Amino acid sequence: MKDYQLAWKNLWRNKRRTLITAASVFFAVFFALVMRSFQLGTYDSMYKNVIESYTGYIQIQHQDYAEEPILDNSFEADPEMMKKVKSDPNVKDVVPRLESYTLAASGSRTQGVMMLGVDPEKEENLSGMRDRLVKFKLTEDAIEALKSTDLPDRTLRLLDLFRNEAYSSTGRMMLDLGISTEDSTVVLPVLRRNASFTNKYFSGSSDGEVLIGSGLSDFLKINVGDTLILMGQGYHGTSAAGNFIVAGIIKLPSPDIDKRIVYMPLETARELYAAPGLATSAVLSLKDFDDKSIDKTAVRLKTFVADPLAVKTWRELNALLLNQMEADNRSGMIMIGILYLVIAFGVFGTVLMMMAERRREFGMLVSVGMQKSKLAKVVTIEMFLMGLLGVISGIIASLPLVYYGHFRPLRFTGEYARMYEDYGMEPVMPTLLPDTYYLWQTVVVMIIISIAIIFSVRKIFRIDLISSLKA
Amino acid sequence: MKVIEIRDLHKIYKASDIEVHAVNCVNLDFQEAEFAAIVGPSGSGKTTLLNLLGGLDMPTSGQILIDGTDLSMLKSSALIDFRMRNIGFVFQSYNLIPVLTAKENIEFIMSLQKWIKKEREERSFELLKAIGLSDRTNSRPAKLSGGQQQRVAVARALASRPKFVLADEPTANLDSKSASTLLEIMEKLNHEEKITFIFSTHDPRVMKMARRVITLEDGKVVSDDVRE
Ligand SMILES: Nc1ncnc2c1ncn2[C@@H]1O[C@H](COP(=O)(O)OP(=O)(O)OP(=O)(O)O)[C@@H](O)[C@H]1O
Ligand SMILES: [Mg+2]
Repeated sequence: MKDYQLAWKNLWRNKRRTLITAASVFFAVFFALVMRSFQLGTYDSMYKNVIESYTGYIQIQHQDYAEEPILDNSFEADPEMMKKVKSDPNVKDVVPRLESYTLAASGSRTQGVMMLGVDPEKEENLSGMRDRLVKFKLTEDAIEALKSTDLPDRTLRLLDLFRNEAYSSTGRMMLDLGISTEDSTVVLPVLRRNASFTNKYFSGSSDGEVLIGSGLSDFLKINVGDTLILMGQGYHGTSAAGNFIVAGIIKLPSPDIDKRIVYMPLETARELYAAPGLATSAVLSLKDFDDKSIDKTAVRLKTFVADPLAVKTWRELNALLLNQMEADNRSGMIMIGILYLVIAFGVFGTVLMMMAERRREFGMLVSVGMQKSKLAKVVTIEMFLMGLLGVISGIIASLPLVYYGHFRPLRFTGEYARMYEDYGMEPVMPTLLPDTYYLWQTVVVMIIISIAIIFSVRKIFRIDLISSLKA
Repeated sequence: MKVIEIRDLHKIYKASDIEVHAVNCVNLDFQEAEFAAIVGPSGSGKTTLLNLLGGLDMPTSGQILIDGTDLSMLKSSALIDFRMRNIGFVFQSYNLIPVLTAKENIEFIMSLQKWIKKEREERSFELLKAIGLSDRTNSRPAKLSGGQQQRVAVARALASRPKFVLADEPTANLDSKSASTLLEIMEKLNHEEKITFIFSTHDPRVMKMARRVITLEDGKVVSDDVRE
């Protein structure tokens, strides 16, 4: 009889107890993983939204710009240095921007906005701005028109929920309106006829054009072709004001940014703000943007990007958001901590019961000549298998949910959606695909099991033969 | 040949202020192939003496020599090993590992001793026949009667041919029929295998089957009768 064979048999001596204990581990692992997946996935998508549509992964800025984001802290790029930056193996391109807070007005409405002067070509390559142009909009008129068509009932009902929603892709719209891929060939042409939105990117010739976020267009009630007035302060305190034509409307995934963004060609911005040749930031377009590559690239750049310029990674660029998420993360960790406390008690209860029940048997085994170390090994294998059973089944059960939640994320509508948007978050809750967090959950559960194992092993080594045989 | 020598053995239990002299200056020898009963009233020290002999408990003073080895010289794991190689045990109850079959229980000590499979199986087959349970080879203890379980325990104790077998009231939980069957089997195996059996009992019928009866009173040997 091998130790593991004996352990395996012991594991099933009390099927119900083993299964209940394994089940408690299973549920804890399952819930912890799913909870964690939603939480981390939400952070991940939030970071991605902000990074991809706004800050980028690495920027070069004037070192004082982070403290005081004003035009006076802009810089004129040294061509030699920029060449060097561009020659970094992970850098595809360097995209200059001129950013300034300014006041936007139309009619009687005003809003503080972020004016972003961008190089139309480069910016398109960096963040795919052209794809973000609104292609459909469910305006009142569009919904009225659509209601008299023969769209599927489900879609007709959903229309009201997404009143005034703008879409830059058909995929997202199909998801919202519950349009299946089979229906799309019939339904999409109807939508195209009734809810299409005409739009254009910077044409390049005329320099009085701006693109604005769809949230801003709703707030200011302006549309393509309307005039937007911008009023702000230029370089070294000059006044900067002008009228612009809205050429296109852009849908950005981060509602906070979507509500406050105005894009204009870099040269137009430089002229408006009396800042020729200046930039407030140079966003790097990267080849690889996993955490490790980003950090490595930043380290390389820091060796030659010198005073007064500074290299900032997305973590520094989004410190505020990161802090918020960190606070939220802590509360999530506490929840998971409580979950694990509960299973720790469950596991310890089982172990205590098992040890009490088998005291006599252990006494007998050591009496007839089984070494305590061998007995301890058998019990260790038993408990380890029990824990593993719970962990593995928990992991397996979580996978379909986590994968489904990643590719078809939970999307809020109505009140919930508004609440999310008020906090500047996209109203979706995608999951994060299995990653190191899976490993950590497993490690934590295994630590709990190990503590229970250590407890039992100590008991075995301290067993008093005479009294255990009497028991 | 002398298997066990007991010299001036004392065991004193101290419970708060009261001292109990459970074993009081015992001197005994056991020879090869003896079949000895230890009897005496409740509390006379039978269990204590057997526990000392089995190295499960440590004497307050005195010596136990087994084939010349002083038990008190052995420390923890060496002592467990010594028990595994030299002493068979039969307890009143809960002798068997509940998750193993009769055959596996009988083979347990042999596998601790790392016997090869073939030899283990030959030996357990032989013993299962001797205890009359050839048809229950693959039954787990829960499926066996109390008497059958004790027979398996006796076979387990004997299987690896220890120097002697200790049995503390092996029949205490059995009806009289099962008790005499068990004793007959013990006697037969003692005879065939020439292994010393030392058992304690309250039962006069069991006593009658012993070839040597040692009577204890208050921890002292008051009589030691050998009949032939
Ligand atoms: N662990 C202990 N602590 C204190 N006293 C003990 C202990 N074990 C036994 N004794 C005492 O030692 C004496 C001998 O006990 P022992 O169990 O050896 O008697 P016994 O002959 O086996 O009795 P029985 O026939 O009832 O089994 C008794 O007075 C008992 O109370
Ligand atoms: Mg007793």
